Amino acid sequence: MRSNLPRFLFLFLLFAQFSWAASTDPADTHEFKLNNGLKLIVREDHRAPTVAHMVWYRAGSMDEVNGRTGVAHVLEHMMFKGTEKVKAGEFSRLVAAVGGRENAFTSRDYTAYFQQVEKSKLDEVIQLEADRMSNLNFDDAEFLKEIQVVMEERRLRTEDNPSSLLNESLMATAYMSSPYRHPVVGWMNDLQNMKASDARDWYSSWYKPNNATVVISGDVDAKQVLAVVEKYYGAVSPQELPVRKPQVEPPQKGIKQVQVKAPADSPQLAMAWKVPRLEPGKLDDVEPYALELLTAVLDGYDNARLNRVLVKQEKVVNDVGVAYDMVSRGPELFVINVSLAKGKTVTQAQSSIRRALEELKQKGILESELQRIKVRILSEQIYKRDSIFGQAMEIGSTEMAGFSWRDINYMLEKMQTINPEQVQAVAKKYLVDEGLTIAVLDPLARKSVANKEGKS
Amino acid sequence: MNALIKVLLTFLLSLSCHGFAYAILPIEKLEPYNGAKGYLVQTKTLPMVDIEVSIDAGDRYDPVGKSGLADMTAALMKYGVRGDKGILNEAQIADEIADLGANIGLSVGGERAILRIRSLSRKDLRDRAVKLAGAMLSAPSYDTKIVDREKQRTIANLLEAETKPEYVLERSFTKSVYGNYPLANSPTTKSVAAVSTADLVQFHKQFYRSERMIVSIVGDVDRAEANEIMQTLLKKIPQSGPAVASLPELLRSPVEPLTQREQQIPFDSQQAHIAMGMTAVTRNNPDYFPLLVGNYVLGGGGFVSRLMSEVREKRGLAYSVFSYFAPGKDTGIFQAGLQTKGDQAALALDVMSSTIAKFIADGPTPAELLAAKSNLVNGYPLRIDNNRKLLDNVSSIAWNDLPLDTMEIWTKQVEAVTLDQVTAAFQKYLAMDRMRIVVLGAQNK
Repeated sequence: MRSNLPRFLFLFLLFAQFSWAASTDPADTHEFKLNNGLKLIVREDHRAPTVAHMVWYRAGSMDEVNGRTGVAHVLEHMMFKGTEKVKAGEFSRLVAAVGGRENAFTSRDYTAYFQQVEKSKLDEVIQLEADRMSNLNFDDAEFLKEIQVVMEERRLRTEDNPSSLLNESLMATAYMSSPYRHPVVGWMNDLQNMKASDARDWYSSWYKPNNATVVISGDVDAKQVLAVVEKYYGAVSPQELPVRKPQVEPPQKGIKQVQVKAPADSPQLAMAWKVPRLEPGKLDDVEPYALELLTAVLDGYDNARLNRVLVKQEKVVNDVGVAYDMVSRGPELFVINVSLAKGKTVTQAQSSIRRALEELKQKGILESELQRIKVRILSEQIYKRDSIFGQAMEIGSTEMAGFSWRDINYMLEKMQTINPEQVQAVAKKYLVDEGLTIAVLDPLARKSVANKEGKS
Repeated sequence: MNALIKVLLTFLLSLSCHGFAYAILPIEKLEPYNGAKGYLVQTKTLPMVDIEVSIDAGDRYDPVGKSGLADMTAALMKYGVRGDKGILNEAQIADEIADLGANIGLSVGGERAILRIRSLSRKDLRDRAVKLAGAMLSAPSYDTKIVDREKQRTIANLLEAETKPEYVLERSFTKSVYGNYPLANSPTTKSVAAVSTADLVQFHKQFYRSERMIVSIVGDVDRAEANEIMQTLLKKIPQSGPAVASLPELLRSPVEPLTQREQQIPFDSQQAHIAMGMTAVTRNNPDYFPLLVGNYVLGGGGFVSRLMSEVREKRGLAYSVFSYFAPGKDTGIFQAGLQTKGDQAALALDVMSSTIAKFIADGPTPAELLAAKSNLVNGYPLRIDNNRKLLDNVSSIAWNDLPLDTMEIWTKQVEAVTLDQVTAAFQKYLAMDRMRIVVLGAQNK
């Protein structure tokens, strides 16, 4: 992420990861394919005179090869460092001049760039974005400065952040062969040894119209937008993409464990199980929907099961979070994360979690619990329509995982048909030790914490 | 399939946003109720409503030795209320909110506590959400067992936070910049442990009174409905309570030698964290717009600010660098900051200081001023293009006693700013020999 506003954008990313894609009347949304293979999706929303313009490249850290981890994200930074026509830094100045907000972000699955502008400025940002799809031209000096910035980003978000370090080790332990085992930002040593040519190679391999989806949402007319997009993006030549090896993770054959020592006060525990995701063309698979609902049964609202039992009744953990995302390109984990209450041990927390899961597996869940969650899912979908940008995010991330925006309604309807027995069944089938990875943060004292208790 | 789910699903599958002719939507004044003011912006395109109650009950009223009391008074409202039919416990409250598909959140800042409701606008659902929020505001139960549990959680969170460089920096900077003003004192494990159930009850009685509240509503309700919402929220809350002692004045950051203003805190993180700033202005200060435009040039304008250019683009010293003014009803502060590898701290601080000093001395160039105004004016529609952002605006206008046409004249006020006004305002309010500086985790080479 290139953001100067890390928290702000991090929220958007969370949204992308936990979201079911938005549901809408297809008449508002239009899809086009240009001759060079570029896909365009326009969502008309005329509530306010603004528009979000995003381009999504289907190239994320999962497409990297060993020794060059982090290159997808480094290239994202370099995309602001000049083309033949627009010199370094000028892109941001031009977007700012028209009142735009802009940024970019990289995930395991994709890299995306966006601008939000008042609607009359849309043509200008399309022109700029299309220019850097094929004309990127940065010099080595710019690369050498920017790679320092990326290393500062890694220090800020990962090296000095014990939760991130724990998550990094969890992923690297859970996966043996899947590229999901590498962090998006890259390993520090790979960043230290990265060359400008690595970033250029990445660009010339993946930044092609036939690997891109443009999503435009807001107060626009789809036909007019198509003409502008054809004019600028249509001029870019397609190119055959590198072969993507499947790199399918072999089945796990028993519990894996990893310990991370880092400065912190309380221990943290993450339990992650290998679970299926929704696969394109198999929208009727029940299990991914049941797993999404299971996530919410455990952690979807203030009185959800784990919060109620672990935080409020047993007081064994201070906070609990459950994560699963059925829409993604790579393999999926069902993760329970807790930070321990004062004086409690990891062993105690783990047995409390196991007990709560066991009860669910044995006794199932109530119809009323499931109804409550379904109401929340639907009302959140309506609230999401308040954000023009959020709608473009949803369409883009769904498309990148290999689905169509047209599948979105179907997924939402399918979710409503899932019953309590199906939720119980996925808990029984997948939350078992064969596919479990456990990661523990073991706190180290800070060597030099001055100013304790706020005295100065 | 249950009836509500059917309604929601049908709605979602047929949702289509038809346009309305664009104009900046007017803020309507609601009927004052028991000393509380109310404001409404009607937006009809989505079947939802956002409601906010601002309460003059922020952290600045924390008694000495009990920092964290204002936060806990608000946060615990979700964990038990005395309703019409007896006590509603935390599980019942959470289930009711979930069943309605609503969100109710509480947060506390330096000046005010804020309760926010987001609900579907269908009358039966909305009424229940508003009624529940009204009960939370008027009759929290503050059960001692839950108070003790939440104190333990807060203390655990504080102990965790004290291992994080960004938290320790912010707490030390706050202490330094606020001096003798109550906001200088961040919560500590000790001050949170000192809060009792009686303290919570007393704080609630004193500050959660309707004459200290403002209601702002944005969404799919008409004026009559909005008045009704306001009354339902507030009807069980007494208008006034025990007298509140007046707050001390926040004195301007004094001129002092660097050794008095700068603090070095050892910390074994990989990055050093740096903060620099001083007291500044209120939101209704006539120089607000020159400062806003000027700060865009200095450190507010994302990737195109001077700080960004000097620290990140030219030297690769940091990922994030910024400056901002945080004006409120009271005098707020100016703050700039960055994080950099520990052994670069001195260099980065030097670049940041000299960039700010030069800006105060010389102001922006004509081209920079033009670019700043162009961004702010052209980008204004992005500040008001959904219900959530409109609520943020209405809330700020209401809280800071700004004119109701603030959104309509905003771009004109930006356009009117001159080069001389920016330079004069920066020189009037900021001065390098008054800046408080905290550097955490610097390593000598």
